[in-house]
Amino acid sequence: MKEAQGHNKNKKFGMVIDLDKCTGCGACMVACMAENNVPFREDESDKQLGTAWMRVYKMTNGKPFPETEVCYIPRPCMHCEGHGGHSPCVSVCPATATDYDNHTGIVSQIYTRCFGCRYCMAACPYHARVFNWWDPVWPADMEKMLNPDVSVRMRGVVEKCSFCYHRYQRAMEKAYYEERQEIEEDEYQTSCTQACPAGAIAFGDLNNPDHAVHQLVKPDNRHGGRPKNPHAFRLLERLGTNPKVYYLSSREWVIRAGDNYVKNEKTGAGGH
Amino acid sequence: MSTQDDQTHAVSEQETEGPAAPIILFFIIGFAASLVLGWGIFPKLLYSQKHQPINFNHALHVEEVDDGCESCHYFREDGSFSGIPNLESCMECHEDVIGVSEEEEKFVAEFVVPEREVSWLVYSRQPDCVYFSHAPHVIAGKMACVECHGHIGESDHARVYEENRFTGYSRDIWGKNIAGLAKHPWERMKMDDCSKCHVRENVNQGSVQTQKGGCFVCHK
Amino acid sequence: MKIDRRSFLALAVGGAAGTALTPLPWKLTDDSSIWSQNWPWTPVPEKGENSYAFTSCTLCPGGCGLMVRMVGERAVKIEGLEGHPVNDGGVCVLGLSGLQLLYGSTRVKTPLKRVGKRGQGHWKKISWEAALAEVAEKLGQLRDDNQSHTVACITGSKHGTIPALFKRFMTVYGSPNVMTTPSVGDTLEMALQVMHGVEAQAGYDVENADYILSFGSGLIEGWGAPVRMFRANSAWRENGTKVVQVEPRLSNTAAKSDQWIPINPGTEAALAMGIAHVMMKESLVNNDFVESYTEGYTGWKKMVLDEYAPEKVASITGIDKMVIVKVAREFAGAGKPLALCGRGNGETPGSLAEAMAVHTVNALVGNINQEGGVVAVPIPEYAAWPETGLDNTAQIGMAKDRVDGAGSDAFPLAASLLNRFAAGAMSAKDYPVNALLVSGTNPVYSTPGANDFKKAVEKIPFVVSFSSYMDETAMQADLILPNHVYLERYEDIPVMAGLQKPMVELTQPVVFPMHDTKNAGDAIIELSNAMGGSIGDAFPWESYEACLEETLGDKWDVLSEDGLWEDEAFQPAGWGEAFATASGKFEFMNPDMDLMPSYVPLNLEGNASTFPLLLMPFDSMRLASGFISDPPFVIKAVEDTILKGKDACVEVNPATAKSLGLADGKPATLSTPKGEARVRIYHYHGIMPGVVAIPRGLGHSADDKYMAGKGVNFNELIGPVEDRASGLDMAWGVRAKLAKA
Repeated sequence: MKEAQGHNKNKKFGMVIDLDKCTGCGACMVACMAENNVPFREDESDKQLGTAWMRVYKMTNGKPFPETEVCYIPRPCMHCEGHGGHSPCVSVCPATATDYDNHTGIVSQIYTRCFGCRYCMAACPYHARVFNWWDPVWPADMEKMLNPDVSVRMRGVVEKCSFCYHRYQRAMEKAYYEERQEIEEDEYQTSCTQACPAGAIAFGDLNNPDHAVHQLVKPDNRHGGRPKNPHAFRLLERLGTNPKVYYLSSREWVIRAGDNYVKNEKTGAGGH
Repeated sequence: MSTQDDQTHAVSEQETEGPAAPIILFFIIGFAASLVLGWGIFPKLLYSQKHQPINFNHALHVEEVDDGCESCHYFREDGSFSGIPNLESCMECHEDVIGVSEEEEKFVAEFVVPEREVSWLVYSRQPDCVYFSHAPHVIAGKMACVECHGHIGESDHARVYEENRFTGYSRDIWGKNIAGLAKHPWERMKMDDCSKCHVRENVNQGSVQTQKGGCFVCHK
Repeated sequence: MKIDRRSFLALAVGGAAGTALTPLPWKLTDDSSIWSQNWPWTPVPEKGENSYAFTSCTLCPGGCGLMVRMVGERAVKIEGLEGHPVNDGGVCVLGLSGLQLLYGSTRVKTPLKRVGKRGQGHWKKISWEAALAEVAEKLGQLRDDNQSHTVACITGSKHGTIPALFKRFMTVYGSPNVMTTPSVGDTLEMALQVMHGVEAQAGYDVENADYILSFGSGLIEGWGAPVRMFRANSAWRENGTKVVQVEPRLSNTAAKSDQWIPINPGTEAALAMGIAHVMMKESLVNNDFVESYTEGYTGWKKMVLDEYAPEKVASITGIDKMVIVKVAREFAGAGKPLALCGRGNGETPGSLAEAMAVHTVNALVGNINQEGGVVAVPIPEYAAWPETGLDNTAQIGMAKDRVDGAGSDAFPLAASLLNRFAAGAMSAKDYPVNALLVSGTNPVYSTPGANDFKKAVEKIPFVVSFSSYMDETAMQADLILPNHVYLERYEDIPVMAGLQKPMVELTQPVVFPMHDTKNAGDAIIELSNAMGGSIGDAFPWESYEACLEETLGDKWDVLSEDGLWEDEAFQPAGWGEAFATASGKFEFMNPDMDLMPSYVPLNLEGNASTFPLLLMPFDSMRLASGFISDPPFVIKAVEDTILKGKDACVEVNPATAKSLGLADGKPATLSTPKGEARVRIYHYHGIMPGVVAIPRGLGHSADDKYMAGKGVNFNELIGPVEDRASGLDMAWGVRAKLAKA
């Protein structure tokens, strides 16, 4: 067992979402629901009560007709690194139900450990966490479509996007079987990345120079440690959450909407 | 309160004859009874006894097959572990009765002929929130089957499956010893047992919260 | 010895002390936490061997390749097939939710016979033998009475073996009344028929175009093959293709485009003509094509130059004159410009003159059958079996006029006019409709003027549905002969969604049929055999699968292996050979038909004083508007600006809403000449003042609680408006009124 992790460099899985390509079709949301046994109810129009790990928000530039512009922004869990893995939610969990793993950079949520205090929901600035107000019910024969790789959550616990960690486990399992210690980029992709019909989502190891996500948003010292790409930004970056989900947009108003800027302040100044 | 208590006491002493029984005796009775209950009766009440549908003889099978455990418990090409064989696997040999045992006859008649899957009781089944994969342990970690499963391959009968009436899980998880003591991995497999080995072998010790294993390593 | 209270206390203390020294409390604590963390009513998915099963999606005409992840015998997730020419791994919201249709509660599980009143939903289970015998008897009786032509049949798709089997059945039975579900594809086919003289579908080489001018097409909202269009849209972003979207509303397509040109609703054809005007006036046309390969150019050019000057077009469309000129110059100046039409997801056919107008814009720059242009793609016609003899009854029946008027002197181009069926059946001018067979479509929901359609169906004495689901049309049936769900059956799908090459896909079963259902192909073969005589003779196959295998011939091997057959060798015909019109050239004007590319204003139903607003539908990728209801995942993904509680939200410009005193998020009553509905107001800057936009695909009344009773069916608020040229429905909207509820 020793060699399993011994010589591995730590991974830092992250996502880059190209908002210029995202069409707001919602396939990422449903791909996530189908992959992760996310339950549904009769009325899902109150978005604060429903469970969804991936949510696509619609933003407008607030200008009147015909100057109006619209942009969609998919929001998974940001898997914040914070400082040394102390992401907002991990720091407040009194039950050790959520955790940051330095080996993968993934923020885990253990449903059986969670007792539903919802501190993490209050701490998360991205509304990425949802609470199960009801027991999940799959009508008719729909229990047949439950994925055994993901456990079903009971009422009273908080859940959130796991970057499809079970897919990482499966990929590693196959790698071990083939006597490899490492997986290729395409062996571990999240369900939303795979489904996106626009190819707007890239997923991979931000630490691995061969991975697309690294190429897209690698930190550049001449940019104060921020990505060289002027279109790249993260949500509420200046809170110090150090999220691992990056966005790309060619539109200034979209980048501005990603954080709280005072009037006349230039974007791209933040970052820790 | 104490005044009232004393009064009551006084009245009772007056009304009865003979000395009061020594308090210590009752203490001992209660103490002893609860020990009997807790160590003796409780485990019997807690677990129900179930028998496997077929009294499976591992020793006999190990003799007959070529590849030892892997003949029936093998890895699939995607790295997942087949676990307990399904009927189709069994039928590769047992399409008809090939031996002389009564159990085999029963197996063929009750399961093979009607093509009914055998509902084996899995001693090692963990709750659904537990993620376990054989590949990292057996292939990457080069662990032998016996290291966790013990000498099951030498058993000539299927032992009784004890199901926790409360949780529905097998007694093997907590262990045969009701005190929760175990010498070998196959005698108990709780979270701490996984963790202990992972700490010792320094695998996946990436957790920020616990400074030990990351939760997702063994949970899903 | 006396037992007193103290003794009990001592016993209890002793018991407590002893218990603490046993495993009991610790074990029970542990067990109770395990128990409470794993409630027995929380389902635990069964494990099993993982594998993939491959098939094609049939939920829309797009034809995406699917790989279905299986765990043991269970299908647990639908994923897009990597490397597939249409979707290459991508998949849409509806496609992803397909398993909820397979495993959901809307399935019709066995043949059903109506016992209560129509629409009441009271059914009796019957056997397949009894059900087919009943259909055979009813239809046999009508035939015996020489009423075979009074039987009508509506199928979903136009092409492939299933619609062909239905059509063959109707022919040998003796009725010309076979209708299909219309779309803009029908209009485009007619345009090609008139202008090219060929029977072909319009394919668009969107991947290779470098300038896209879309006249209201929801390019990323379900138009064409949706996932293919998503991929194209991303490619355009990468290679700098300019996309210009002309539409009254800031749709997702408009939001993603490089330039959004808001236009007065319904005037897109005028803009196309204005652009043609500028191109011709400034000599920006492809002279080689126009001079050598077209007919009627001079006359048409004169008409356009006279009538569609930019100033005039500007006043019709509300677009600034300079914008029109600029777009025309850009379009003509681009290397491979491409103009597209078909509003929204293309489910409404629209006006033929408009389709021709847009097609002409393409023709003027010579991008017919060119890379990055419009390609006339032949329709794969393999489902053609040797004719068998029609008996006397059938011959008499087939000679009757169609109830929808398609193919008559008034509508010579049309093969099917479902929009005219309800009126035809209601009036029973020539003859009544005595029986109706419906397969693969849900016209009671999806036909504009849905309420009238329902009334017409109510009048038909015998209605048979082949639906897999208890949808609105099945609810009106007397008998339901449920088809397998697409994940349980074989079916060929000629992909007709604007691809550049002829393509046929095969839907293959990934799971065993869950219920006592039957492939509609088998049902129709068995029905024919039950009816016997010349009808039975026309269906010599043992089963639908045998029929499919025989019909597809050598394609079968490829299809059953790869799931996909593509005509790799297909090359668009060169200009010299492309046109089979009387002149052998591309025809701008058809002298016989008084038909040319032009702007034909549509007089909307209702008067402007009672109904001051214009109501138009919009399509969302998060809503299915066709024959499939939205499964729970889809409804879950719908924005709360589209559906809130049980109300559909209508988009109203804040300025318009203010003038009407309608606050954001508040309920309102929306009325049109066709009906009235409760809606919720959504203030949206992206919609033109005076226009109200309503989502299509809501308001189902059948199916289960996850799907039904949500919002309003737009088809109940609008009626069809007949295109004089094609006979198809050209309505793009309807007049409306909004008032506080």
